[in-house]
Amino acid sequence: MALKRLRFITLALALSLGASLLTGCASQKSESLVIYSGRSESFISQFLNQFTALTGAKLDVRYGDSAALAAQLLEEGVNSPADIFISQDAGALGAISEAGLLAPLEQRILDRVEDKYRSSRSDWVGITGRARVFAYSPERVKTLPFSIDQLTLPIYRAKIGIAPTNSSFQAFITALIQSRGEAAALNWLERLKANDVKLYEKNSQIVAAIDAGEIDLGLVNHYYLWEVSKALGREIAVANGFFAPGDTGNMINVAGAGILKTSTNLDVSLELLTYLLSDEVQREFIEKTYEYSLALKDANPVGLPALSQIPSPRVDLSLLANLSKTQALLIKVGLI
Amino acid sequence: MGQDSWAKRQSRPSITLIAASLIAFLAASLPLFYLFRRAIDAEISEISLILFRSKTLEILATTLGLTIAVTALSTLIGIALAWTLFNIDLPFRSTLQALVILPVAIPSYVFTYSWISLIPGFKGLWAALFVLVLATTPYITLTTLAALRRSDWSTYEVAQTLGLNGLQIFVRVTWPQIKNSVAAGSLLSALYVLSDFGAISLLGVDTLTRAIENIYRGSFDRSSASILALILVAISALVIRLEERSRQRLHIIKSSNRIIKRAKTNDKLKVRLIALFGIGSYLALGLVIPLFQLLSIFLANSTSINYSLLFKASISTLTAACLGALIALALALPVGVLSAQGSRLGRVSDKAILIVHALPGIVMGLALVSFGSSIPWLYHSLLLLSFAYALLFMAKAVGSVRSSVDRVPKNLIEISATLGLPKSATFRRVVIPIATPGLLSGTLLVLLAAMKELPATLMLKPIGFETLATQMWSYSSIFRFNEAAPYALLLVLIAAIPTFLINRPDKGDGIGGDQI
Repeated sequence: MALKRLRFITLALALSLGASLLTGCASQKSESLVIYSGRSESFISQFLNQFTALTGAKLDVRYGDSAALAAQLLEEGVNSPADIFISQDAGALGAISEAGLLAPLEQRILDRVEDKYRSSRSDWVGITGRARVFAYSPERVKTLPFSIDQLTLPIYRAKIGIAPTNSSFQAFITALIQSRGEAAALNWLERLKANDVKLYEKNSQIVAAIDAGEIDLGLVNHYYLWEVSKALGREIAVANGFFAPGDTGNMINVAGAGILKTSTNLDVSLELLTYLLSDEVQREFIEKTYEYSLALKDANPVGLPALSQIPSPRVDLSLLANLSKTQALLIKVGLI
Repeated sequence: MGQDSWAKRQSRPSITLIAASLIAFLAASLPLFYLFRRAIDAEISEISLILFRSKTLEILATTLGLTIAVTALSTLIGIALAWTLFNIDLPFRSTLQALVILPVAIPSYVFTYSWISLIPGFKGLWAALFVLVLATTPYITLTTLAALRRSDWSTYEVAQTLGLNGLQIFVRVTWPQIKNSVAAGSLLSALYVLSDFGAISLLGVDTLTRAIENIYRGSFDRSSASILALILVAISALVIRLEERSRQRLHIIKSSNRIIKRAKTNDKLKVRLIALFGIGSYLALGLVIPLFQLLSIFLANSTSINYSLLFKASISTLTAACLGALIALALALPVGVLSAQGSRLGRVSDKAILIVHALPGIVMGLALVSFGSSIPWLYHSLLLLSFAYALLFMAKAVGSVRSSVDRVPKNLIEISATLGLPKSATFRRVVIPIATPGLLSGTLLVLLAAMKELPATLMLKPIGFETLATQMWSYSSIFRFNEAAPYALLLVLIAAIPTFLINRPDKGDGIGGDQI
């Protein structure tokens, strides 16, 4: 009996192998643009579909985690089938750029955004912006912090959440090292840890934890408020707050894109970047995803100040490509 | 029954076996070779920064401690479940036997998330212990059940005639017969803990696998990550060595006219109620509560389900996972046979396959990206994806192949030889049929693991090819667990089909029950 079953299963498997090889061969040859996207499908696909509808260009998108995709691109090197890399953060783009895998972009594309939101090597460009904020419970937090230094005060003891392994938190620490020096950053982290800070894996977990009453305040990106609320299907008891002007806690990070040197489809790739940076698509980003437009300076997501109004510090985004110094610091403190 | 098995009598393995085994060995070495190549690039200062920091010690201690604790607990629970399901007369016994295997089909991040959403503040080492024990117990339950079904009942009857009580029979008769299979299951559990990322990261526990992932994320420093991965390789080599040493020659000589008869079942109501309570608790924690929680997350904020997407993803998942399981079986079979014959090539390949099993998915993914991207027709093909599944999970099959082949009685082979059958025909007509139950359960484990694999799938899948796991990820990564829930539920539902098929109720004892 068992043998019959094994034979049956082997036959079924062999058939599926044959079928898959056939379909595999059929889909081998295609003239479409290959995109590696670290931005989620539900976020970016609507815009990519619009682009296809508009231009007729066929897009093949591989979705993944930005960092994993960057590692994959580094591993593929000159053999990469990718034309465009769309990344969730500047760090992953910087790593690819540093390895010399990105092609230079035309000035007209670069000029759509301020120079602080694009590569210093002119090979990638920011598309949307995200502000670091503190998310908090308006009900339980009566005294809002005006500086990250206040987070180490006893009144916030065991009430703050951070996501130290998350790249957006590490970007913030990198900015902190840049503005205050390594010793001061180390000191701040140690005091924060001594204040019994709670650790999470993701920003969304922090916002959910504030809503659930586990903690009162957390360091996250601004749009998680909407994301978590949408996921839970209800209003949540969490608000976004900014620190005083110039505080590193208000830094702006970007999501962006670059074209791979291996691209065999440069024209369409450039066209896609132009499209993503066009006024109407930028406006849609704000309305549909609550992210900041980098091209439209005075438009802002509902309930938030305009990008130009955010009291953010100046941060060199190219430094975010290598967070090893930052990680070493976090390791030293024992947060990761 | 080692020295009397067919395997031990083969003086010289056939060329085909050696060649096939060599292919399996080379395949398994691929990721290891990749790691060495990357690690060589690391600078001495980087290496010392990684190795000589107090955090590394802490990570090692956590990794080892968690691995030992989870393995010990899941082994105990697994044996208890298997023994109970086998010996005690319970209603719907074969259904229960299939159900206790199913927690293995729930991806660990989904499983963990459902517990987190149920218990606020569910975090840390204890939470990880809880989740991982529940998730890895099926490996031991499955291998132990298979061993119990194969065990020789005549010895039980002798023991009973001699007036031994239940505990004495277990220690002196049952345990020696199931020990090797239990050890094989425990090894799978240990390797699972070493390579797990989903549960560990959500619960904030720092193991080596998480540290490796963090290096990739933070600095894209592939050489430092490779050094940590090699430490992981060293640890898993140690674990594998331990298991190998615990493996014992079986000295029980099986009577060839084995009495195929179920153990005398214990019918006392109290015993049966306790048994049902135990199994029920495991199923509640490991299967029902997580699935129910997923369902309620979905219902609390239900969105319209895209059925065609769901259907397509199911077909894709099954195709890739079946193909992966087939390749895994094809690679594991020669290695298991050679290993059972005591050939050095067999044993070395066996170990390489097991070591690779402890590697995090991202490492395996990158190794195959590095190897595959230079071969355009192969890269991002279904074949490479299935090959990755086979590499990642064939360890789950190789142990059962080894032990199944080791059990083929010599007198059957002699009869076959007397009848004038050549070696190859004997293999096909005698060895394979007898080993089939073991092969099936090994292949099933590969299939279930491949169906939920994520990191390597994201890197290697053909473009536009979505599996249930990748769809689930694309929702859960943006916190939409409500939209991810139907995919998770369907994954478990689909996984149930092969599990029940192999545990067919009409076959009485299911896996192995109708054989030998």
